[in-house]
Amino acid sequence: MNNKLKGPKTAVTEKAVPEFESGMDRKCLLAIGTGILLRLIFFTAFPSLPTTLAQRVEISTPVTSYKRLQEGIYLYTHGVSPYDGGVFHQAPLLLSLFTILPSSTTITNLLYILADLLSAISLVQIAASGVPATTPHHVSPRKANTWPPWAIAAAFLFNPFSIATCIARPTIVFTNCIVLHAIASAVQGRRAPAFISLAMASYLSLYPVLLFPPLLLLTYDSSKSPSRPSIQTFAIVTTVLFTTVLLTYLKLSHILTGSWEFVASTYGVHLLLPDLTPNVGLWWYFFIEMFDSFRAFFLCLFQLHLLIYVPGICLRLRKQPLFALITLVGISSIFKSYPAIGDTTLYLSLLALYNHTFPPMRYTFFLAAALLYASFLGPAFYYLWVYAGSGNANFFYAITLVWSIVNALIVADALYAVLRDEHETERPELIGKDVVQI
Amino acid sequence: MALRVPVNLRKNLSVVLYAFQALSFGAVIIGLTSLLLLPLDEYSRRTYISENALLPGQVHAYFGGSEQNIVRAFRHEVAALANSTSDVVADRMAEIFRSAGLKVGQQKYSYKAAGGEYTGENVYAVLHAPRGDATEAIVLCAPWKNIDHLLNEGGVALTLALSRYFKRWSLWSKDIIFLISADARAGPQAWVDAYHDLHGPSVQSLSVKSGAIQGVVVVDHPGAYHRFDSLHIIYDGVNGQLPNLDLINTAVQISKDQMQLRTDLQEMWNHADTYRHRLKTMLRGMVNQALGHSTGPHSSFIPYHIDAITLATHGEGWHDEMSLGRTVESVFRSLNNLLEHFHQSFFFYLLMAPKRFVSIGTYLPSAMLLAVGLTLTAIRLWVDPRSRSGADESKHAVGEVQAGGEKSEGKQSEQGGPKQPTAPAIDSGPKRELFLPLSVVIGMHFCGVIPFAVFNTLDYKSMANVFYIFMAVSFVLPILLATLITLTTPPRRLLQTFHLTRCFSLLFLGMFLSTLATLNFSLSFLIGLFSLPLTVARATPKSIPVSLLSSILLQLASPFAALFAVAGYWGLGVEDILREASFGWWVWGMWTPVIVWCVWWPAWVVARVSVDASFVMAVTGKTGVA
Repeated sequence: MNNKLKGPKTAVTEKAVPEFESGMDRKCLLAIGTGILLRLIFFTAFPSLPTTLAQRVEISTPVTSYKRLQEGIYLYTHGVSPYDGGVFHQAPLLLSLFTILPSSTTITNLLYILADLLSAISLVQIAASGVPATTPHHVSPRKANTWPPWAIAAAFLFNPFSIATCIARPTIVFTNCIVLHAIASAVQGRRAPAFISLAMASYLSLYPVLLFPPLLLLTYDSSKSPSRPSIQTFAIVTTVLFTTVLLTYLKLSHILTGSWEFVASTYGVHLLLPDLTPNVGLWWYFFIEMFDSFRAFFLCLFQLHLLIYVPGICLRLRKQPLFALITLVGISSIFKSYPAIGDTTLYLSLLALYNHTFPPMRYTFFLAAALLYASFLGPAFYYLWVYAGSGNANFFYAITLVWSIVNALIVADALYAVLRDEHETERPELIGKDVVQI
Repeated sequence: MALRVPVNLRKNLSVVLYAFQALSFGAVIIGLTSLLLLPLDEYSRRTYISENALLPGQVHAYFGGSEQNIVRAFRHEVAALANSTSDVVADRMAEIFRSAGLKVGQQKYSYKAAGGEYTGENVYAVLHAPRGDATEAIVLCAPWKNIDHLLNEGGVALTLALSRYFKRWSLWSKDIIFLISADARAGPQAWVDAYHDLHGPSVQSLSVKSGAIQGVVVVDHPGAYHRFDSLHIIYDGVNGQLPNLDLINTAVQISKDQMQLRTDLQEMWNHADTYRHRLKTMLRGMVNQALGHSTGPHSSFIPYHIDAITLATHGEGWHDEMSLGRTVESVFRSLNNLLEHFHQSFFFYLLMAPKRFVSIGTYLPSAMLLAVGLTLTAIRLWVDPRSRSGADESKHAVGEVQAGGEKSEGKQSEQGGPKQPTAPAIDSGPKRELFLPLSVVIGMHFCGVIPFAVFNTLDYKSMANVFYIFMAVSFVLPILLATLITLTTPPRRLLQTFHLTRCFSLLFLGMFLSTLATLNFSLSFLIGLFSLPLTVARATPKSIPVSLLSSILLQLASPFAALFAVAGYWGLGVEDILREASFGWWVWGMWTPVIVWCVWWPAWVVARVSVDASFVMAVTGKTGVA
């Protein structure tokens, strides 16, 4: 996939590097401009498209759906608690943001485009920092093959999944934007913005809290101040900062809605899965079939399952905390309770940063083809189940399984490639040799 | 990008390539043979009633005796209106329904397609169920003009008589709607759209409605008074969707066992239940399904998940309209028994005789295998070393791979050596250039929108001319593209570019067809069949006869050839087929033209690009070897 670069042309690429450091170059602006224009065209030329896409279960989940957000806003502005009735499961601050805005579709659409714009800028900043290839502990031998920042921005902006997600307007767009901003701040060593952002992302959709440890390592590695404290001190101060900010958000929400009801309706839903609307994840079908007596046990198990990856991946990828973070984004996009293609988009966009390590990947073509197959068969099977009535839930569930397996294989294969890259730095004589696990 | 196959196989790549070739070839062969095996007793099954509540033929049908006089009286009424306009007919029919004590509604509609306008007025009456709560309904429909534009004299008269007759019974638990549509193509569509409030502005809303429609039976008994021989059951819906098999089984069982009426499928009038007849019935069904057009008034109901069939009379025999009436009565009594929507039996099946079928599990593999064959070819092309380097390098690569891995690795480090003297050679092997092939393939699929839009907005009169112009353009376009690519790409990467273009094109086609196979099996299978030459069409600049042969083969398997074949099958002109497609898109929401122009045509053009590139390369002298 990095085949545009014909072999390692060291001299040329090195000359180009200083230009990348500045972040925005003309190509970046062109890519971002075209991406924005494309979204504007979709919003204006096909006025019915946002509503159609917003109803797709692959894009909107009960915790991010734009339709439910509108319902929540309506209830909120009419003096009814939006969390009554169990339809609305999104954070109160989001609600107040949309109530402050004039209730015009154009402005809402522009807000979503703005979020994508900011995400693209964050990706450019991350790419320009050079962290994907060079960390204090590791310099990739494939450093010269990294994609330029404009290509990273383009990979995000022209990804059909991210375009569809932006047009359907689920609130995951904001979470993704904030997560990317947190990473961009972290690679620049700016601790406060990074963790205030991460606290916001966690506040909005809970699971980004899993990214706290790798983000901590990333910020620590990237901080350039001469009097850097020890990692223990750094961790304690950061944890206090993060917790304080998070509690402030929660208290603010309490003041806004006048009760703590929102905690159960937002985080409770993420954790306890009361809404079994189908989505691309693995939970809904499993919990439909489950006997009630086992429900609590398996809920704990599924949630813990997400948690167990964090220490292992952070330890193994200590040299490259950014990749640890990306891998955790990928894992939670597969195993979280209400995933959508918006989560996969975030992972794939971040993965593009590690494009230089793709050559050792083993299944690129197979995985790309399987991803394509799943994204076409998914809607077809959903149609057979829900509209034509000639299929049933198993059809769609089978495809969500394929989708998850493909995503899991991408995560695993990318992990293999990066570890191989690390290994080749340590043992250059093994480059090009086959590796056999014993 | 180093090749990632298991270690021992990587050293013996040609084995893998041959294995893939054999696999894809085998998949196609098995796919085709398994379809031909289906009519055998060992693979097909006898039909059976799956929903026990239906109890077909368990009740006595009382329609008879003096009712015949009423039917004949209505026949005179209908015949008297033979030359009247649609609104006059609707007013008179409404009057008759009203006199029977039913609630009546009328609906005007108008559609525009291919420069023509299709207008008419539907009339319908609702009989409220004495034992129901108006949450469910069943529909008895008779088009005023049937699908062949003949006056449906017997069908309409029978519907009018049955509306009076059914009114007298107190056993109905579902509302019965009697619908007389102005024609067999646009009228039922307008009515069923409006019933579900999904109609456009040119279609009137319905004034009277009932509950969710559980089943529809259409009666088609055209012409002046005559006795018929057999009952033709038509069941294909729009876009190849089918009604639940239980409905067809019910109709077949009632007509055969209760009424001693012979039933026919797919216009197979003399079905002897031999292998040939079964195969022919099945193939005719597949053609109808693949075209996705409406085969009768029932077709429009099926996309709404309403199970519907048409009972059309055929031939000269000893059955009169009272037999048809009793059959309809008995089918309605069965439908009346339904406790829930049809769901027990199959929605995906191929019928090969009135009482013999295969279900999806048996036939789906054959279409899937065709699609898998395409995908396997795509994987083979990707794995092939020619996808990764210039032609000269590839020769070495193939040679080395065959000779063994040790030498190849030595060569790789040699190549990397001079480029990067300090660092060891990383990923310095030959690369795939993906941008141009991907943009050609994806760009062509998007270009499919152009013919689709053009043929759906054109006037009928100019259709034939534009079609021939477009055919000429499609002939020249691949040559232009091939020339453009040949002139702009360095010769070293030329063959690789065409190789990868083929690879992606086949991958996408395989993906589209396997998705389509789950929605419309027959269309997927037929396009897969026509696309088989695409797997062998490739750039062979060194042997022009081979290129010439594959060029001819491609021309024979083009979407245009298929269009001419369909036109020939029905004895129509291509412009009639195109008008039908345009009408289908605007009125029925028929997706076949989208598939043909946005999936098949682009794949065909891309295959042509590869073949034509051989000629271009031969002419320009750029044979892909620098």
